[in-house]
Amino acid sequence: MSMDTWLKKMSVRSPWLFRINAGSCNGCDVELATTACIPRYDVERLGCKYCGSPRHADIVLITGPLTARVRDRVLTVWNEIPEPKVTVAVGICPISGGVFREGYSIEGPIDRYIPVDVNVPGCPPRPQAILEGVVLARSIWLKKLGLEG
Amino acid sequence: MAGFLKVLVRNLMQGPSTDPFPLGETFTPQRLRGKVHINPNLCMGCGVCRHSCTAGAIDIRQLEDGTGFKITVWQNACCLCASCRHYCPMGAITIDNNWHSAHAAEEKYDKVEQQIIRYEPCSHCGSLMRPLPLERVRALYANDDSLDPKLLRTLCPKCRQIEDAKRNSCKLPGAPGKSASANDDAATPASAAPTA
Repeated sequence: MSMDTWLKKMSVRSPWLFRINAGSCNGCDVELATTACIPRYDVERLGCKYCGSPRHADIVLITGPLTARVRDRVLTVWNEIPEPKVTVAVGICPISGGVFREGYSIEGPIDRYIPVDVNVPGCPPRPQAILEGVVLARSIWLKKLGLEG
Repeated sequence: MAGFLKVLVRNLMQGPSTDPFPLGETFTPQRLRGKVHINPNLCMGCGVCRHSCTAGAIDIRQLEDGTGFKITVWQNACCLCASCRHYCPMGAITIDNNWHSAHAAEEKYDKVEQQIIRYEPCSHCGSLMRPLPLERVRALYANDDSLDPKLLRTLCPKCRQIEDAKRNSCKLPGAPGKSASANDDAATPASAAPTA
């Protein structure tokens, strides 16, 4: 087994999460914090951990409808994340614009700018739904790495 | 030290507080709002849900051939405020507690609740209209036994008005048969006279 494959196999045990707030109302961010920090939901069982730097991330969770002001910064941060990355849109805002759709300051939905892999709709989605989305994102990430299952 | 042991024993007895999901089962509150459903037997297409929808997730449009309408709720835009359910005059909208909403991005536009509702021809004039549900008609005309809800339901609003005029014209002051002698000067329109 080559070093590269070995490293890949080790790293799939712990896909690190990165959170981007693209102008969210903070509702989904609170649910994301709940998913990670409260023992009842505990996303760290799956090896997932929020990381502070986009360069360490594997799965990126985006909340918010992508406002005009934050657009370029979101794209900068998103481009910093190394491939292969899996993008998860959390809440209805990044998916469709939600209640802010067609607002004058809204550049979203987010898939106009960023290829999204997983959608988790809800306003906000409950922590179990976010967990479900993270599990789905992990399986997509394994496919991207070429390590099925 | 004793306090710590007490906590330790209690935790060992109770087991972990972590919800086993996604590896096991989780709990779902009965009244959790998950997905919107429309009852095609009750929906009249009045558009109150579309008007009250906070996120603009509901679309009602006529079919191109004019034989009905299509009502669509896009789950990916629905913010689950339940104002459609609250304002629906027919009670046609229900929200279940199915929160399993995470999906791959390719299925983004498949997550819709869609019902196609066909119009039916009026039993008198044959123009297309949406009949009221029988239960609703029974409730509306409950205080008048002389009316037949099954017949009224198949009439379009215009024919229903004509039927109503025919029925009520005998109660008018100038109607023949009842008090014709008292109001001789009131001309009775021939078209409004009760016919069989």
